[in-house]
Amino acid sequence: MIPDDALERLMNSANKIGQVCEKANVTQWEVYATQGYGHSLDFEAGKIAMASGGGDGGFGIRVVENGRYGYAHLVDIGNSEKAVAQALSIARKSPSIKGFNLPANQDAVKVEGMFDKELLNIDSEMLLEQGDQLLAKATELDSRASIIGGGIGISAGVGAIITSSGIEAGGSRTSHGVGVQLSIDEDGLMTSSYEGDTSRFELKNLDSSVEKAVHWAQVTREQISGGDTEDCPVLMTNNGVTPLFSVVVPAAVTGERLVRGESFWSGMMGQSVMADHLNLVDDGRMEGGLASGSRDDEGIPTRRQTLVENGKLKGQLWSTRSAAKEVSEGRIDQAMSTGSASRGGHTSPPGCSTSDLILSSSKTTMSRERLIEEMDSGYIVHSVMGAHTANPTSGDFSVTTSAILKVENGEVIGALSQAGFSGNLAKAFTGRVILGDRSDSTTGSLHIPDILFMDGLRINPA
Amino acid sequence: MVVDVTRLDDTLRDCGRLLDHNKISTALDLATSLGAEYADVRLVSEITNSASLKDGKLERAIPGQQVGVTLRILADGAWGVHSTSDINSLSAQIESTLKLAKAVGARRSSKDLPVELAEVPIIQDEIHWKSQKDVRNTDLETRIEMMTAIDIEARDHEKVISTSTGWSDEHIHTELLSTEGMDRTWSFQRSLINGMVTAREDSEVVSYRFRHGGEGGLEQIESADLGQMGRDARTSVLRLLGAERAPSGKMTLVSDRDLTGVYIHEALGHPCEADLVQAGDSCLEGKLGQKIGSDICTVVDDPQMRGGYGCYPIDDEGVDTRPKRLIVNGVLTEYLNHRETAHRFGIEPNGGARAQDGLHHPLVRMSNTVIMGGSFRDLDELIEDVEFGIYACGSRGGQVDTGRGSFQFAAQEAWMIEHGSLTRPVKDVSISGMTLEILKNVDGLTKDSKLAAPGFCGKGQTVPVGDGGPLMRISEALVG
Repeated sequence: MIPDDALERLMNSANKIGQVCEKANVTQWEVYATQGYGHSLDFEAGKIAMASGGGDGGFGIRVVENGRYGYAHLVDIGNSEKAVAQALSIARKSPSIKGFNLPANQDAVKVEGMFDKELLNIDSEMLLEQGDQLLAKATELDSRASIIGGGIGISAGVGAIITSSGIEAGGSRTSHGVGVQLSIDEDGLMTSSYEGDTSRFELKNLDSSVEKAVHWAQVTREQISGGDTEDCPVLMTNNGVTPLFSVVVPAAVTGERLVRGESFWSGMMGQSVMADHLNLVDDGRMEGGLASGSRDDEGIPTRRQTLVENGKLKGQLWSTRSAAKEVSEGRIDQAMSTGSASRGGHTSPPGCSTSDLILSSSKTTMSRERLIEEMDSGYIVHSVMGAHTANPTSGDFSVTTSAILKVENGEVIGALSQAGFSGNLAKAFTGRVILGDRSDSTTGSLHIPDILFMDGLRINPA
Repeated sequence: MVVDVTRLDDTLRDCGRLLDHNKISTALDLATSLGAEYADVRLVSEITNSASLKDGKLERAIPGQQVGVTLRILADGAWGVHSTSDINSLSAQIESTLKLAKAVGARRSSKDLPVELAEVPIIQDEIHWKSQKDVRNTDLETRIEMMTAIDIEARDHEKVISTSTGWSDEHIHTELLSTEGMDRTWSFQRSLINGMVTAREDSEVVSYRFRHGGEGGLEQIESADLGQMGRDARTSVLRLLGAERAPSGKMTLVSDRDLTGVYIHEALGHPCEADLVQAGDSCLEGKLGQKIGSDICTVVDDPQMRGGYGCYPIDDEGVDTRPKRLIVNGVLTEYLNHRETAHRFGIEPNGGARAQDGLHHPLVRMSNTVIMGGSFRDLDELIEDVEFGIYACGSRGGQVDTGRGSFQFAAQEAWMIEHGSLTRPVKDVSISGMTLEILKNVDGLTKDSKLAAPGFCGKGQTVPVGDGGPLMRISEALVG
């Protein structure tokens, strides 16, 4: 799937673009290069509908002159002279940021678990066999169940960053992902659930996604009529809370938003922002982490950084440019990169974001069953619709759920067909919160367990 | 090397072609000789420019080029697909892609129908939608100047703590060749300007987003009163600062054009996509010809609605586009489809195949989706009989569960309607419901139907869309 010399070829191409920068007398330049490969299959209507393969890649060029930067991207190195000229032209029209320079080279620690050679042995036929296995599993678990969407994929990629300041780094990554959209449609009632998993290694238990999807499609069929709107305890499963968390929390911990007053945690450094037993850690060096690696996306060594400790805001994330900019504009006296630069690929310059983000508690965590007992009465929410409409500036959200169970006296008594679900996630974290056990708590690069919120959330049954 | 670079720039300007037709034809012939029932190659080249201001200063400006090419092979009633940015490698992928298709086909059970394609006219031509002002000729200074016109007005208040303004334009050039002899080339442009204003008072922080643009070049941006756009955004964000949270419960909903558009896109448009119907993931399966909405509901999806952000001249299977009347007077009359689903349902292909870019295969997608106008004169007439309800404006996005037929969308700002009048502003309004219930609750539409702000639609792939309509009243909706 991936040529043996893929990284070498990519580095060579990046170096050639670097030479074009040198020839153009660019004093500070950075070439970021990626090339991806992969194959996948799609499920549809209880069968495998399509198999596909391929890959793409390209180059991004960042140039800096007197604190001004410009960027251009391209797919063909034959076009690099023009791209360098474009980036330079833009830099000369950009505002100067005092103290902004591309980062110098620093030694980086190797992060293990980024590449699984065994994964490359899974060819298209083997992937199709995995698809067969999942389809059969769904039917085995419930003859009414059908996988109507989703798929399985294997990807491998190489990436490189080369700069005028001596950074010359590259690496390879793999991933194995599965997503299952499963439904049970019987007697005029359709229930469904989406479950998925991703790993840099071969997923050893593909069936678990199907098992969870069947479970949730089954338990949401026992529907009861909704009651009145109520402010009540809500147990959000990992699957339910992660999409909301991903919209609201990562944006709140970037240094730029914090110092500009754009975060609901602005002005609260050192103060309580969560319940006093909660900790939030950004780990750029997590072994096998989907957002981890030795260096960030501008070549700075990554780190493990505490953002919230015992409920108090302790840290913030910076890229080289965001730090220099906020210092030069006087919003903060001192700031420097935390190795948190990231980008969406070669087409964009680095921004600043979280790596592998871990929410944990210094108190004893509980199994889902114990959390339900602890809640006594309230609701369990397993997925939400419209998480992307949450407001990252305020933490407010108002979404809809069709995967919601009502709990009375510590027992699930039935499901609602649909309900509105609203509140302020930032405020909810300051109330009474109990975290679930650490097992089964990872969705992509967010490591968030089940969370029982006792306060601040509202359920509005349809 | 993907394509000859000099040729890339020159050819795109001259609206010529990039694929080596002899090589591609030879590759497609090989696919046929090896047993392919159908194969096509689609190349998309995009010349893009994006830029943004943060608090009035240039934050980033990014020129770029993207090229992707996708090979699709249909064999033994199943698809194999290969996508790459390396066009020269494509010919070598014929056999492996054919093998993929056959491996999928071999898994088809006796109850599963093979993939077949509806017949369409086989056309060899070029269609280039010329912009009045070719956006590729726009320099960075002009982009900055136009973003600044918004920004200056948007941040002219002490409570406004930050502004961001963005620009995006693209020239899209597509070529499609198939084993059937389809040989089409088309191009068009899209231009967009957008932004966000954030305001703060004590510990309360609120933000307001806006967008303007559509199919076309610089004229799309010039058509807007940019200063007014900035003033409106500032007014809205300051109003949100003092707004209470909206009440929860069932009530009458009146929506502006933006929200009407998002509603019709999420609640009706997605369930009308025939690939979802085929997959068993649409609440509208088996409902063609049935009454699913109130008499006043007529909904059209039209890729030829020039200027709409979801326009395209030819779909990504080379099929001519046309308006699709999804609902007429409340009756479901047409699904959006591509060639595969058109054959499956025995209906005419209607040009609904769209891919995100040259690296993705086409799915059934919406284009510009609007609900047609009704009989009400204006907002005042629409709300005069409403005792208690909510008037919701501007979209923060939406989502739908097409199989269950449930949907959700969120408003940027809203007002309470009490005793026939707008009273106080409220915020954090979301609306949810079931497609097959709420379409029947549409009981009022103003006369003037127009496209609203441009949007983006995600379905595994992201494509630009337009949607809109008149002001709409729904007698009962779940708010909050």
